[in-house]
Amino acid sequence: MITGGLDLGAGVVKGVLLEDGRRILATTSAPSRGVPVQVARHVLEELGETANIAPSDVDYLCTTGFGRYTIPERNLQVSDFTSSARGAVFLFPKTRLVVDVGTQASRTMSVSPTGKVLKFKMNEKCAAGAGRFVERCSKYLQVPLEEMGPKALASEHPKLISSVCAVLAETEIINNVAEGVALPDILMGVFLSLSQRAFSLMRYVGIQPEVTLVGGLVRNVGMVKALHDTVGMDVNVAPDAYYAAALGAAILGHSRALKLAQAPQGIGG
Amino acid sequence: MSVVAGVDIGSTTAKCVVLGEDSQVLGKSLSVVGVDIVKDAERALEAAIADAHLSRSDVSFITGTGYGRYKIYFGQLVVTEISCHARGASFLFPGTRVVVDIGGQDTKAIRINEKGEVVDFAMNDKCAAGTGRFLDVCANALGYDVGEIGALSLQARRAVKVTSTCTVFAESEVTSYVSRGKDPKDILAGLHASIANRTLSLMQRVGVEPEVTFTGGVSQNEGMVQALRRRLGAPVNVSPLSQYLGALGAALHGRERIVAGGAS
Repeated sequence: MITGGLDLGAGVVKGVLLEDGRRILATTSAPSRGVPVQVARHVLEELGETANIAPSDVDYLCTTGFGRYTIPERNLQVSDFTSSARGAVFLFPKTRLVVDVGTQASRTMSVSPTGKVLKFKMNEKCAAGAGRFVERCSKYLQVPLEEMGPKALASEHPKLISSVCAVLAETEIINNVAEGVALPDILMGVFLSLSQRAFSLMRYVGIQPEVTLVGGLVRNVGMVKALHDTVGMDVNVAPDAYYAAALGAAILGHSRALKLAQAPQGIGG
Repeated sequence: MSVVAGVDIGSTTAKCVVLGEDSQVLGKSLSVVGVDIVKDAERALEAAIADAHLSRSDVSFITGTGYGRYKIYFGQLVVTEISCHARGASFLFPGTRVVVDIGGQDTKAIRINEKGEVVDFAMNDKCAAGTGRFLDVCANALGYDVGEIGALSLQARRAVKVTSTCTVFAESEVTSYVSRGKDPKDILAGLHASIANRTLSLMQRVGVEPEVTFTGGVSQNEGMVQALRRRLGAPVNVSPLSQYLGALGAALHGRERIVAGGAS
């Protein structure tokens, strides 16, 4: 059975095709550019092409994320907490704490060995600690997003940011640039600031190993190092953790489809 | 008696006021603050003295205030901006009981007594929401200059409700309304109403009591004055000098210091 998982996030749409709830056939993503539904269609097409599967061969489609209700052809939708947690546990079965830093929200949840969410905390009110802050820094520091992490690793004396607010931090960072603080130190300061915001959410739900980072910033080596240093323990990262929510949605879609298939006719839809 | 000056170094602009013998404003200056605050303070003072057609030696006492007050190296006195705004507001509008100061980077509500002394205050300096910076960012997102958005907001037909508190998210919210074809004037009205709401809740922490005097850079925005007035359901004092009230209050504090010194 082939199930699809679509994660319609605030900044990026991510998709996963999964075979029998176990094998990842394809993953892809695209910026939502304010038209997430259209982008989601493209993402689905691209997944099909990569896996060489016709759209009609996808048996069950499960959506998640901010825009999960906007796709009419979905069979199921699940919250981003549920899907991220399930995806994280699939990638790292010993995960007990999931940190998900997205474009517009950051969340953390403690999870059971089966990937069920036990407790969670989220910040969606404020851009401090969210990916949008990093995007803005990339713009005004004129460092492409993908270069920020590697450049930050050269930092010897990270320049900590005292402002919590992303907008006020911007002024502070610009002042630091004017005062001649080295770029790697400024960049590492940005990631440490994000890590500290994540850390306070993590403390709320309780910190226990293993910690798995998922979502938009997982590919950023600067963020991974900063989080590791802030939390004081290893943090699991994997390339596919970028797609954790979409992956989790595909897994949950698979379990639901199995249940439906086993249920007697006429019950459960 | 002699000429005194007050210098207010804010997060965004530097203001200076030069006061004559009878506390009449002889000269003033307003300039943007850059990275070199020490120099900016010096320049603000020089500009106001030039505006008064005086020279530096004519000024007998200089008081500094504002966020950057500790970078003013030439004055005789330093006073917090909270007591300066209180003093300045009370001078211009003696009936003032609550001062609302919306600056570039923070917002304050100050309750004062009939002598212009601070009784209580509340402030937001943690986050750009509800400050001049919020308006700046949103004006840019709409392609306007921050100086023109107040008047435009008054031409709105139906305000669009802006739900984001965070400046960064409000910016994306504004952009999404534009792409949905909303009238920028209606969006601007919504933004002003949103700041008025935040301001009122700050004011409620110190107690809302007439008269209310609006100071700081954002008080020059007519749309904001109207939005605040509407939200309060009461008049709001504003003057063309509102943006200079911190500097004016500083100069007045200096004058009192001279008088007290002379008496002893």
